[in-house]
Amino acid sequence: MAEVNDFIAHIRSALGFSLENPRDPVQFPALFSSADTDEVLDRISSRTREDKQQLVVQFREQAAPLKLNVHEAAEFAGAAKIIDDIIRESSPEFSEAKEIILHDHPDIAALSLSNTGDAQIVHHITSPTNTAAREQTIASYIGITAPSWGVADTATVLQVTKTGLPRSTSLVPSIHIGVLRLENMLADLIELYAVLKQNPPDSSYVFISGPSKTADIESQLVHGAHGPKEMHVVVVDVSPE
Amino acid sequence: MSNFSAPSSYTEGARRGLADDTLQKNLQHLQNCYGRGAFEQWAGLADPDLRDKVKRRRMETLDNLDVVLSVLIDNVREKNGLVYCARTAEEAASYCLEVARKHSVKLVVKGKSMVSAEIGVDTLLQNEGIEVVETDLGEYIVQLRQEPPSHILGPSVHLNRRQVGRLFADKLGIEYSDDPPTLTKAARKALRHKLLHADMGITGCNIACAETGEISLVSNEGNIRMATTMPRVHVALMGLERVAATMEDHRDLLNLLTRAGALQKISTYISFNGGPSPVGDPDGPEEFHLVLIDNGRSKILADPEFREVLACIRCGACLNVCPVYGRIGGHAYKSIYSGPIGSVLTPLLYGINLHADLCKGESLCGACLDVCPVNNDLPRMLLALRNKLAYGDPGWQTTPHKPSEALAFKFWRMLVTKGARYRFALATCSLIQRPFIAENGMIAKLFGPAAAWTKDRDLPPLAKQSFRSRWQRRKKEQHSINGDEDDNGRGQ
Amino acid sequence: MTPKVSLFIQCLVDSLYPDVGDAMVSVLEQLGVSLDYPEAQTCCGQPAFNSGYSNEAKAAARHFIELFADSEAIVCPSGSCVHMVRHYYPVLFGNEDEATRKLTDRVASRCYEFTEYLVDVLGVDKVKARFPARVTYHDSCHLLRGLKIAEQPRRLLSAVDGLEFIEMNDSDICCGFGGTFSVNYPDISTAMVDQKIDNIIASGAEFVTGCDVSCLMNIQGRVSRRQEQIKVKHIAEILASSEAEP
Repeated sequence: MAEVNDFIAHIRSALGFSLENPRDPVQFPALFSSADTDEVLDRISSRTREDKQQLVVQFREQAAPLKLNVHEAAEFAGAAKIIDDIIRESSPEFSEAKEIILHDHPDIAALSLSNTGDAQIVHHITSPTNTAAREQTIASYIGITAPSWGVADTATVLQVTKTGLPRSTSLVPSIHIGVLRLENMLADLIELYAVLKQNPPDSSYVFISGPSKTADIESQLVHGAHGPKEMHVVVVDVSPE
Repeated sequence: MSNFSAPSSYTEGARRGLADDTLQKNLQHLQNCYGRGAFEQWAGLADPDLRDKVKRRRMETLDNLDVVLSVLIDNVREKNGLVYCARTAEEAASYCLEVARKHSVKLVVKGKSMVSAEIGVDTLLQNEGIEVVETDLGEYIVQLRQEPPSHILGPSVHLNRRQVGRLFADKLGIEYSDDPPTLTKAARKALRHKLLHADMGITGCNIACAETGEISLVSNEGNIRMATTMPRVHVALMGLERVAATMEDHRDLLNLLTRAGALQKISTYISFNGGPSPVGDPDGPEEFHLVLIDNGRSKILADPEFREVLACIRCGACLNVCPVYGRIGGHAYKSIYSGPIGSVLTPLLYGINLHADLCKGESLCGACLDVCPVNNDLPRMLLALRNKLAYGDPGWQTTPHKPSEALAFKFWRMLVTKGARYRFALATCSLIQRPFIAENGMIAKLFGPAAAWTKDRDLPPLAKQSFRSRWQRRKKEQHSINGDEDDNGRGQ
Repeated sequence: MTPKVSLFIQCLVDSLYPDVGDAMVSVLEQLGVSLDYPEAQTCCGQPAFNSGYSNEAKAAARHFIELFADSEAIVCPSGSCVHMVRHYYPVLFGNEDEATRKLTDRVASRCYEFTEYLVDVLGVDKVKARFPARVTYHDSCHLLRGLKIAEQPRRLLSAVDGLEFIEMNDSDICCGFGGTFSVNYPDISTAMVDQKIDNIIASGAEFVTGCDVSCLMNIQGRVSRRQEQIKVKHIAEILASSEAEP
């Protein structure tokens, strides 16, 4: 086993520098510098509701070939209705009962989905996480999350892991529904990286752009590989309090 | 039960590939679609200078790799990730086994990783009685067939749907089908249980980010996310060059990677993992290990002629445009790294003499350089490798490859450095060739090294009068026309 | 000022296809260019260089740069040779004394491929030629990717009287010559040239042309063996044509 220092020293010497003296990252500001993102952040913060509605149009266009279903709802009540319809019109893939699992997020709580008649079992992940959450996720055929941001140019949503918001909810169930606030719609990945730089997540995160797919057999595109085979983003226009 | 046997040589592998109709058809389709498509992506880039910028940043990173890696390591550890530095393939694979033993691992699921094949970790674990399952559909298919992948991004590109159908009917016990959606669904079902209940996930690392201490994995299928979310241990294998200094670099690299390899603005999933999951989370690994792998890379780094090859982001675009790869397929290269990138990397990692055919077995057409998202000058590096094979290079443990060829070029040198010798040689050949000229005016059979040409091609004979003699004669005629001194009938 | 050109006649042209050289001479003379031909020229060194024998290539290159030291312009009917001189001579002589490096740069900067010289230097994009036939064009690798020459030959061909220019599929894919590659890896090379010929035939052209005799020799050699009807002509021969029969 190579000690880290020896390993780095070996690389350093391969580059023609001294074997003995480590090079301090502080001496290389240019190496770790990146473009200033103030302008990008300003652009984001000054975007109007109408601008964002335009972005949703773009998001929808980009989402279509990815087989990502996009819905728009006014208020959480509207979103809940759309989700009800999805639940009613879909069937479990690997089980009998219609079980769904929800992230512990205020926007999802606002949907009041426990009251919906069609899902037979609604699992709520709690914070701190309930011990049965893993098994419940595996048993569920729909997972509902509240992504932090949406990106119009690439039909992407950002899913950040936190207590009560575990990774598997948007991954293991056959159907993933993401409830995204209109106000969190960004234009492109440059903006997404800018907000990530401003607020780096503590834990893991993932960019999701549609249901899973593969083209490994004769380069023919098939939607539904190992991740969710169906995905919905419900964009909720929440009026300011 | 494997029907696969590695070809004995590049030439034999090429012959097999050329005779394989399925391979020819599939590669033609691949190159028409993904090869041409990559060029269209570059033509449509919002920032036409992006590739140059990214190349510059890659080289800056490589030129200071010690610094960048030390920052990555510190930041991974900050997130409670464990870092192991492996100098060799054996060290890396042994470490994986050690981790597996420590956690009483019975089942490992793998995300697609070229470097995992490079270090041979599967065999080591399997010899220990641990079940190792590839979960990327293409890798799963070739694993079931017990053969190596034939393309960096599409491991099963050499197979048709009927072959996959028969394979699944045999191995998964399903009813035969050659419908890709049906087959994909069968794989989804077969692998789901493994992914949900494996003890350990082993993946590669597409791009690590030093600034944040995260590794990111780029995929479409969701298997890599599953393999890094459900098992309690995640081991990420990383060639030491696969690191970006900043998130801005990451963003730019990602942009080029998904476009070059799959013609996508973005792939379905880009996951950013760093360190174990917070305590209490129902998923995510309890232990995260980043294994940094050298295995010959630092030697490449040390050589200014070849350092550039480490800028490669494994997008596979060069395979999609290479006319040689397009004819012979990946198995002919006898290495998991095939195509143009493989032709440079394989000799550098495993031996230049051993893989002399990879250094010499292409026409240097330059399509790979044209398409590479990071402008890697693979033709230049192939020439450098050929140079080492010509004269030997103790620094790279290389001996001269073909003494007869070296001698031929020494002789050639004598001819081309003196006009008179050259003309004499031509005159001699002009005489010798006469009996070889066939009725159609062409030469159909040569001997010695040139026989390979006439195996499939004719050759025009040396012209009765070379350009030089015609020029000389014309000058003489003009000379006399111009009424200069009587030419005394001076000879031709 | 009469343009002056030193003829750089590729070894393959000199020995196997002198008509190509004659054709280039004819076109240049018609355009009023004054020509000289350094008779001691042999080879640019490419065959050795591409096979890795840089020392031998350098010897050929030295012979070349000394011979062409005083040329105003050096014109060659072969893209790969020009690429060798322009791109690789400075590399070969990169570590030499200043005088040699200067000479190399001078020679390299004055070396042109034939169609490039006509269009970019003489400003000519139409020559007095007649060639009534269906013609397709093969983009040689070093010419296209190394020298970025693609437009010039097409412009000249399209302006030839009676010529019907057809773009073939995959005109930019390598014909499989690659120097010693063609004799060391003949199976692969033949498969590549077969694909090229299939594309030529599929285009419906009677002739295939190009700016590199190495490629054309490769294509012609295989066409001959396959006994196909396609005829192969270097672009210089087309541009020098004036007879009714191609």
